Amino acid sequence: MKKLSKYLFIILWSIFVITPLSWALVTSFKPASAVNNGATFIPWLQFKPTLDGWKDITGVSGYANLFPALFNSATITFFSTLVSVTLGCMAAYGLSRFSYGWKHYKNPDIIFFFISQRIMPPAVLAVPFFILLKSLNLLDTKLGLVLVLTSGLMPIVVWLLVDFFNQLPKEIDEMAMLEGCNPFEAFVRSILPLSKPGLTVAGMFSIIFGWNDLFFALVLTFTKVQTLPVAVVALNGTVTPFWTLSASAIFSILPLVGLAFVVERFLSKGGFAGAVR
Amino acid sequence: MKSKFYSRLFLLPGLLLLIAIIIFPLLFTIRVSMAHWNVSHSGLDWAGGANWARMFHDANFWQSLFRLFYFSFITTSLQYVFGFAAALFAWKGIAARRFFRVLWLLPLMTTPSVIAIVWRSIFREDIGAANGLLALFGVHPVAWSTQILPATLTITIAEVWQWTPFMFLILLAGLLSLPKEQFLSAEIDGATPWRTFWSITFPLMAPISIGAIIIRLIEASKIFDSIFNLTSAGPGSSTETPAYYLYTRGLREFQISYGATLGLAYLILAILTLTILSQIFARVSKPRGL
Amino acid sequence: MSLNLNQISVEGDSEVLLKDISFNFQPGKIYILIGRTTSGKTSLMRTIAGLLEPTAGEIHLGEVRLDEVPIWERGIAMVYQQFINYPQRTVLNNVEFPLLRAGVSKPEAKARALAMIEKVGLTDFIKRKPSQLSGGQQQRVAIARALVRNTPIILLDEPLMNLDYKLREQLREEFRVLFKGTKDSVTIYATTEPSEALFLGDELLVMHEGRIVQHGKPDFVFQNPSTIDVAQIVNDPPMSILDAELRDSKVSIGDLMHFVTPAHLKSQPDGIYKIGIRASEVVLGGSETNSAEGEVSLSEVSGSETLLYVKLNIGEVVLQLEGIHDYFIGQRVTVSLAPQRIFLFNMDGTLCAAPGN
Repeated sequence: MKKLSKYLFIILWSIFVITPLSWALVTSFKPASAVNNGATFIPWLQFKPTLDGWKDITGVSGYANLFPALFNSATITFFSTLVSVTLGCMAAYGLSRFSYGWKHYKNPDIIFFFISQRIMPPAVLAVPFFILLKSLNLLDTKLGLVLVLTSGLMPIVVWLLVDFFNQLPKEIDEMAMLEGCNPFEAFVRSILPLSKPGLTVAGMFSIIFGWNDLFFALVLTFTKVQTLPVAVVALNGTVTPFWTLSASAIFSILPLVGLAFVVERFLSKGGFAGAVR
Repeated sequence: MKSKFYSRLFLLPGLLLLIAIIIFPLLFTIRVSMAHWNVSHSGLDWAGGANWARMFHDANFWQSLFRLFYFSFITTSLQYVFGFAAALFAWKGIAARRFFRVLWLLPLMTTPSVIAIVWRSIFREDIGAANGLLALFGVHPVAWSTQILPATLTITIAEVWQWTPFMFLILLAGLLSLPKEQFLSAEIDGATPWRTFWSITFPLMAPISIGAIIIRLIEASKIFDSIFNLTSAGPGSSTETPAYYLYTRGLREFQISYGATLGLAYLILAILTLTILSQIFARVSKPRGL
Repeated sequence: MSLNLNQISVEGDSEVLLKDISFNFQPGKIYILIGRTTSGKTSLMRTIAGLLEPTAGEIHLGEVRLDEVPIWERGIAMVYQQFINYPQRTVLNNVEFPLLRAGVSKPEAKARALAMIEKVGLTDFIKRKPSQLSGGQQQRVAIARALVRNTPIILLDEPLMNLDYKLREQLREEFRVLFKGTKDSVTIYATTEPSEALFLGDELLVMHEGRIVQHGKPDFVFQNPSTIDVAQIVNDPPMSILDAELRDSKVSIGDLMHFVTPAHLKSQPDGIYKIGIRASEVVLGGSETNSAEGEVSLSEVSGSETLLYVKLNIGEVVLQLEGIHDYFIGQRVTVSLAPQRIFLFNMDGTLCAAPGN
């Protein structure tokens, strides 16, 4: 009985997970007739697959080209992740090893401060960020978006890594210092090599949240810089056929699917041991 | 360790950068909430607490907050339960679990706003997959976007689909790093899997669970992408959440000042809730000697 | 260079860790810090290392004011009781690391590291990582790393505590040899085991509740503990302490044991005292007047000896018996002690007289 419910869950859940993805995938190959006359599901049986949707989004048919947006997203995500993880892991290490105090605010308060950055809905921050970037001439630039995204990603990095560093024995730092390393050298030479699991998790979440941001990219960039989510949603706004939309959806998802494989490899090799606690 | 220079070296770059980026928006938001900035009135005049008073009487705002309790708490709970179940199954003991781990991670990697568009196409009453499938079973088509319950359901489905893998990932990572000894002794004592779970696994996972739930609640409260692309807060405003309401008033109607006020009110309420929740969690996990 | 501590006090969050410690350590000598777990040994070492900051007092190494020098410039080597090595580096790299940090050239560092690794007997393991070594081997790597630099100060904090009995004995022997090469350094070794102290130390510092309560040559301290606390720290198994009275040239312990005042106590004034007797000098049996009967409360086999805890109505005594014996709880036995082996303490715990040797 237990086994049955176990397998039932696994199957149902897997079907649930696949549903929107397979629907989008199948729809992206549909011609107009297969979409407009009611729902159809099985290619070749119910309709004849075409590449129209895909031609539309890759610039072949002249309708739109999502590749530039893809590169923009990649660049922006890369840099925001880089800055967030670098500064974030340093801050997390500091919070793990030292005790800060300013008046009566101590370490837990500082961590709370970092986390509370995630609370504000983007809608509220959009206008002031807009004004801020405008006055710095950073509107519609990659740098501007990177800065804004970093402020949202660093808290996540810090949250994940403080716990992680707390689990690494302080004695290793002490040993490195006794043997001639100043605290920064001790950090880089002795702690970082042991932190690969934690850094990878932090990096992964940064990439996910950075890549998938819609709101800030929407408000703070227009023509010169366009990220992938923005480009796809823009397609949705105009009268775009469903098959093209579906193709664009699949297109924007593919890059991070590779990440899923990387993460799984990492999990299975025990890479997460002690990374999240 | 006292070495002030080094301790500062580690924390300050990140902390200062963060403060630098958000200090202006924060101060601006506070200031503009006390002005009259909107479509007709640009610039920072002084309105004192007028916006705040309006906020207190704004039924839409409070209703959206009420709805948010449903959306954030219920979806987070569902995500937690499903995520934990999935994590348990993907942990050990089922065949091809690596395959399932990858599969079940996929939704997390997708762009919420983009997937919401896909869900929209699924829930299209006329040509969407949902009603198409139901038709195959002879069920009447459901009015997914024009009736409150179905509309709420579509959002719930989208959210659970999107974010359960978040819980799944964190909980699985936690499970994989649990020390084996307690499980071995439970096995020797002949504990059933159910018993083992409740007495050993679940308590051991408490710290991670709490962390994940809090983070997920914070994120869930900002729910916007799915509402924007799926229901546009419809039908009417039955699926309107604070974030969406903020967007409507503040950006769409360009009532910058009022939007800022709403945002700050939300921030204060959220921080209060967060603090209370943390205390509750702390108290609940202490008696068990965790 | 000598290491001088002057009125060092360290306060922790809720208690005082070290009280007014002043001492002068000479290079080339091995100092043993002995004391219970909370006595302050580790705090003292960490303060010397700079991992703990003194709330008062000064530390000088030669002419230099050490407590104002940052940790990484102090030139101190430390061995922890948990085996601490760099997990990601091989044994060879582990031992080379401190040399390279000190600016030694790569070839010389490698040569010196290899020489030290050979001294600790790990030449076959130089390519392994610490996680692939046994506990004893890991600790040897830590020791090699500590000694390879010839630092002016070498600190060892109960390094053998986490090893099994046999390894402890073996490494103790090896320490003797290894420490011969530390002529210019101040070596400070913390332990709770009196046998290690007697075996390795040139000078003993007894610590109790954050203070140094006695110091001197190990033999001397062992035979002349200045207080009951010290006596209990340097004796393992502990001394039995009983109330006694000296009157009219007779010693009475409760109303059970009486005997003529032994020679070394004759000069003591009459009065009430506490006497102490080593476990190895309490025996079973004895004559009517100097023995007492009691009940066994605990019987413990340790190594090839048996420790017997016997409850008399005047207190509890501990006996150390050769060989392995079987006693059950509640068994009635007769114990007696040799009067000329008694330590005499005042009621406040200070030593009045110790047995001659």
